[in-house]
Amino acid sequence: MIKPTCEDTFLLKKRNLKNDYFSFTFRPYAQIKKCKPGHFIQLQIPKMDIFFRRPFSIASVTPDGDIEIIFKIFGKGTALLSKLKKGDKVNLLGPLGVPFNFPKKNEQTIIIAGGVGFPPLMYLAVEMIAKGYDPKSIQFFYGGRTTDDIIEKTRLKKLGVNFYPVTEDGSFGTKGLVTKPVEEFIKSNDAKMRIFSCGPTGMLKAADALGLKYNIPGQLSLEAPMPCGVGICLGCVKEKTDGGHARVCCDGPVFEIGEIVL
Amino acid sequence: MKPELKVKIAGVEFANPIMTASGCCGYGEELANIFPLSKLGALVTKSITLNPRLGHPPPRTAETTSGMLNAIGLANVGIDSFITDKIPFLKKQSTKIIVNVAGSKLDEYIEVCSRLNDIETIDMIELNISCPNVDEGGMEFGADPAMTEKSLKAVKKVFNRPIIAKLSPNVTSIVQIAKAAEQGGADAFSVINTLLGMAVDAETWHTKITNNKGGLSGPAIKPVALQMVNAVYSNCSLPIIGIGGIRSTEDVIEFLLCGATAVQIGTGLFIDPTLPVKIEKELSQYLKRKKCNSIYDLIGKVRKY
Repeated sequence: MIKPTCEDTFLLKKRNLKNDYFSFTFRPYAQIKKCKPGHFIQLQIPKMDIFFRRPFSIASVTPDGDIEIIFKIFGKGTALLSKLKKGDKVNLLGPLGVPFNFPKKNEQTIIIAGGVGFPPLMYLAVEMIAKGYDPKSIQFFYGGRTTDDIIEKTRLKKLGVNFYPVTEDGSFGTKGLVTKPVEEFIKSNDAKMRIFSCGPTGMLKAADALGLKYNIPGQLSLEAPMPCGVGICLGCVKEKTDGGHARVCCDGPVFEIGEIVL
Repeated sequence: MKPELKVKIAGVEFANPIMTASGCCGYGEELANIFPLSKLGALVTKSITLNPRLGHPPPRTAETTSGMLNAIGLANVGIDSFITDKIPFLKKQSTKIIVNVAGSKLDEYIEVCSRLNDIETIDMIELNISCPNVDEGGMEFGADPAMTEKSLKAVKKVFNRPIIAKLSPNVTSIVQIAKAAEQGGADAFSVINTLLGMAVDAETWHTKITNNKGGLSGPAIKPVALQMVNAVYSNCSLPIIGIGGIRSTEDVIEFLLCGATAVQIGTGLFIDPTLPVKIEKELSQYLKRKKCNSIYDLIGKVRKY
């Protein structure tokens, strides 16, 4: 387990990607070299009525060694966070959680991203390519309600992965739910595969079911309201399929397919 | 001269007055990955019950204004697993170990405490007679003076080291309960456990945690805690461990001034798990600045109108 640190960092770069979606880059972060795809950080939003920290998965470690998160305004905390200005100070706790296990080199990587669940998966794809995986062995399925929920299209395309955008209203890419084209891909391929997924619970449930149905191993990155992030408050637990509770923050957020009751 | 941070409670000496609060640090393993536990005066474990408990289903915590509401429901591994799986780790820690004990019947408290009596690593027991989140026992024990006295008397018979009574704020007179605990043979008080509360979502009309009601903690309850620490300090003679909303060194000093000999940090750890280390350092600087030789120069020294 990596020893997390609590440190002050500054908002270096702020980009409004689209509507309520933002990319924030922070510097400095002493633990940057220890970050892996699937890790997350807890940010303390400097306002009295936001009491808990807010968890964010790491979207990238930039070439300059800074840390990037991508988020959507969802509630009070993210709304206040989005108002931070360049140079503002934020306290960062991390890196936290269990990261993804990289697939075997002979496996087809099936990435199933939903909405704002895509950042850790983009980070995974980037790191895989850096480690010498063939970008074409990465099938990046990315679903959203409308075209507005498919973020960083150009960035993803530039990676050279096979990019499959899917929207529920058909405003971009294939129309429907993201798991449908995933299933078609699985059915039409004999190769060994591994699934990686992050997104809304309904989609994770479908991804989990696909893995179990076709006997494809893989990992899901879960989300939960999380007071502490380090395993001491027991607030973020989920039910395990073999009984008992798992803490999303430190037993996860990355879990094996079939491990958690979704 | 370096000011003295050591404090003594019921004959047990603590390197400093900073402890973790029960239910906010598990059995110490996670915090030990963040800082050496020797930095703490004591580690207070999660409540241990006779049988393992899964706790309430999630969601079981909610953010509130300057605080949090929780009804974890005493999730813990139970006494057997605690002894086999957790004690070996705790044995290796160079800090004092206080085990918090909870139950739903008096017999359960007695059984758990007598099992703990054989384990030398355990310096003290903190008796949780104030948990708001279980249907039976918990707060019921600590809301009735006669039951409080009876519980303390019973566990004192089976555990030969000091016992701290953890008091509930959800009573008409905390002093009356403290006196009953003192009568029953308690060696110290922990003041206070969480305040009973509720959190509701105005959009969905739903309560925010599955148990509907829960315990309120965090800075929101600090003034309540300070008053209760001071009331117990003024009316009883046992040492007090102050708890409630500590987020800074100033908060710790306020508790000491109101009469606490030591403090516990709970919810504050969730926001900053390194807080005890920071406070220990700053407390030394504060004593120096105020020309105090030790923590004892602060205890109960609040100036009142």
